[in-house]
Amino acid sequence: MKKIVVLLLALMMVIGMVACGAPAEPVAPDTPATPPASTDTPEVPDEVPETPDEPAKPLAPVVDTMILKEADDKMLNTYSVLAVNPDAPFTDADGNAVDGVAVNTEGAAALIYWLLSQETLDAAAEYGSEEYGNTLFYVKDDAPVYAGEIAPATEETKVIRLSTTTSVNDSGLLGAILPVFEAEYGYTVEVQSAGTGKAIAAAKYGNADLILVHSKSQEEAFVEGGFSYVLEGFEAERISFLYNYYVLCGPSADPAGVADAASVMDAFAAISEGEYTFISRGDKSGTHTKEISLWPEALGITAEADSFVDYTDWYISANTGMGACLVMAEEMGAYILTDKATFLTFVANEGVIG
Amino acid sequence: MQTAVERAFQLIVTGNAELVNILLVTARMSLCSSVIALIIGVPLGLLLGSARFKGRGVLLVINRTLMGMPPVVCGLLFYMLFSGVGPFGRFKLLFTVQLMVLAQVVLITPLVIGNMETYVSDISQTVRENARGLGLGRFKRFLLLANESVYQIFSAYLLAFARAIAEVGAVSMVGGAIAWKTNVMTTAIMQYTNRGDFSLGIALGIILLSVSLIVNVVISLLQRRLSR
Amino acid sequence: MKISAFKKSYEGKWVLDFPGFELKDGNICAVIGSNGSGKSTIAKVLAGIVKADNRRLPVPNDISVGYMPQKSFAFRLSTISNIRLSGGSEEEALVLMKRLQIDHLARKRAKKMSGGETARMALARLLIRPYDLLILDEPTASMDIESTALTEEVVSEYCRNTGCTVLWVTHSLQQARRVAQQAIFMRNGCLCEAGEAEKLLFNPDKTETREFLEFYGI
Repeated sequence: MKKIVVLLLALMMVIGMVACGAPAEPVAPDTPATPPASTDTPEVPDEVPETPDEPAKPLAPVVDTMILKEADDKMLNTYSVLAVNPDAPFTDADGNAVDGVAVNTEGAAALIYWLLSQETLDAAAEYGSEEYGNTLFYVKDDAPVYAGEIAPATEETKVIRLSTTTSVNDSGLLGAILPVFEAEYGYTVEVQSAGTGKAIAAAKYGNADLILVHSKSQEEAFVEGGFSYVLEGFEAERISFLYNYYVLCGPSADPAGVADAASVMDAFAAISEGEYTFISRGDKSGTHTKEISLWPEALGITAEADSFVDYTDWYISANTGMGACLVMAEEMGAYILTDKATFLTFVANEGVIG
Repeated sequence: MQTAVERAFQLIVTGNAELVNILLVTARMSLCSSVIALIIGVPLGLLLGSARFKGRGVLLVINRTLMGMPPVVCGLLFYMLFSGVGPFGRFKLLFTVQLMVLAQVVLITPLVIGNMETYVSDISQTVRENARGLGLGRFKRFLLLANESVYQIFSAYLLAFARAIAEVGAVSMVGGAIAWKTNVMTTAIMQYTNRGDFSLGIALGIILLSVSLIVNVVISLLQRRLSR
Repeated sequence: MKISAFKKSYEGKWVLDFPGFELKDGNICAVIGSNGSGKSTIAKVLAGIVKADNRRLPVPNDISVGYMPQKSFAFRLSTISNIRLSGGSEEEALVLMKRLQIDHLARKRAKKMSGGETARMALARLLIRPYDLLILDEPTASMDIESTALTEEVVSEYCRNTGCTVLWVTHSLQQARRVAQQAIFMRNGCLCEAGEAEKLLFNPDKTETREFLEFYGI
């Protein structure tokens, strides 16, 4: 008798899972998606080495959300690596100073040197072309290149704690390049990924040896707080070496007409004026920080929940990862700001709800 | 497009190395934490359920409060304690399976205690009267009580294991979901979900439930066989 | 054997006032009375299961006391292991089981026994070793007539053989008359009358005792 009940329960469970996992009806757009025509040729800003030469791949028909605005100088997404200063003014949760926090400076230095070697930079620039038909990252022209010796791992330095953002981790870049480093020099890199805010907080609590993040303002605050230091052979604490672009995506019908907007600021203004649904990460990630800087100042949108209480009809603070937000945007026909790498991955996986 | 079931099946059949690692870490963590919680929780539950002493009521209330502790709070607590800047930072336990086990033990032991206490307080009166009537000593009475509770101990273990394997709040905080090291089924599901890869999340969910089902069936069979 | 006076109250509520009583060694003393008159409480206090208000045991400290509670409980062991919990060899246990007609259950799980069998097993569990004082709280409550007669016979025999004093709580006057040499009549938590069984159970002094006997049709 008991066995029958158990079996029945198991059966119900499996049926339930099958039902949940059934493929969603493909969302067929009314018109075949057209590749986003870059309506305005952005002026190439000084710090931008070059505009990416490849336009986005034509979208697979199952995903309606498409890139509507990109390659604006305001949409630069720069990744920097910062070594954690072992003599940083660490404090505990109550604000009391703490001495002797263990930081693997040698390991962190080795990893940073390796990341900035010509070979690694080339591999990073090449990453994605095989899988997505489009590279996901560009190497900054003024990125420092390291050509010196890299210390191999010792018993004390072999574990390196890298705190990074979900966008880097989810792109698969680290998974593709780090094994080479680990095999060659004998280190083990433990990657924790979270939004930039949490990634930086981990370092401040002494739980990371280096950070790889993409939020200039938060990185500068980290440096000013004394949590980073200048590595030998470099000029600044904050070493920016990779970039790609944030892209403003939305439904192919583009009711707000952002594709025709003169600039990305105008595009965001158009969305807010027409009160078109917009999905915000809402998690103090780099993407979230960037998005906040793009709204018309009069709206007063910040990371705090109070600031958008009047806009909840159209401004949706999802408080989750980039991928989940993209799925949400696709479902709701909403606008969204995302890094290009994640978006291309999303499209390549056909909107990922399998 | 594949269904989640197909993906789950494919992952298992191909013996995806990362999945195998995740399963191993999950098994190691949840087995360790549930067994330790059982070893600590059962004697305490037996004592709390059978002995009558001053302060028992207070202990019960404390235990019931701990039973309701949100996992993420427990995780946060251990994160702060074992952070580089925390008081126990020098043990370098943050982002290790050991600390995940420790956090889970703190989370699960109250459940085991509460579960045993409820059962034992029900039978302890009769057991005590009969054992004392025979002039048996304290220790022998305790053993007899434990022997009476074997069936319940299995149930408590299943509860502990279920909680350990399904728990995500604490392990994601103290474990950091580091690939090949501390990533377990639940944190991996969280990761895939945040990434928007719902079907892979569900595929892992199916595998997790299947593992859970197998463990439950095995333990239930053992329970029926051993507790007669 | 002297039982000293004691009082018992639960949470400030008085339930029992026992003035003390002299048990004759080797005799069976029946405790009778209606439900709630305090019979079981006397048994529990004497057995040390619950403490009297003055926290003292009303029987001498140096005697061994065996106690069979109202609810007999089979431990999760075989019947014979249950019986040998407080000592005794396997042979002794088997002899005793045979006497109580439960020897066919020796290797079976004790939990599987019926109520009457469990009660006989609980009795065998006690009788396997000698005591100075044996307290039985309605041992035959769940037994049929044959088992009841058998139990009365076995306990009386045990008394004669070991010289053990027995305090037998029962709600059956007939049983009291059959087994007891002494008797105590409890009423509303007070000892109403105590003395020789012969006298108390057939020709009591007190009106309350007489009324009780009459009520039960004797």
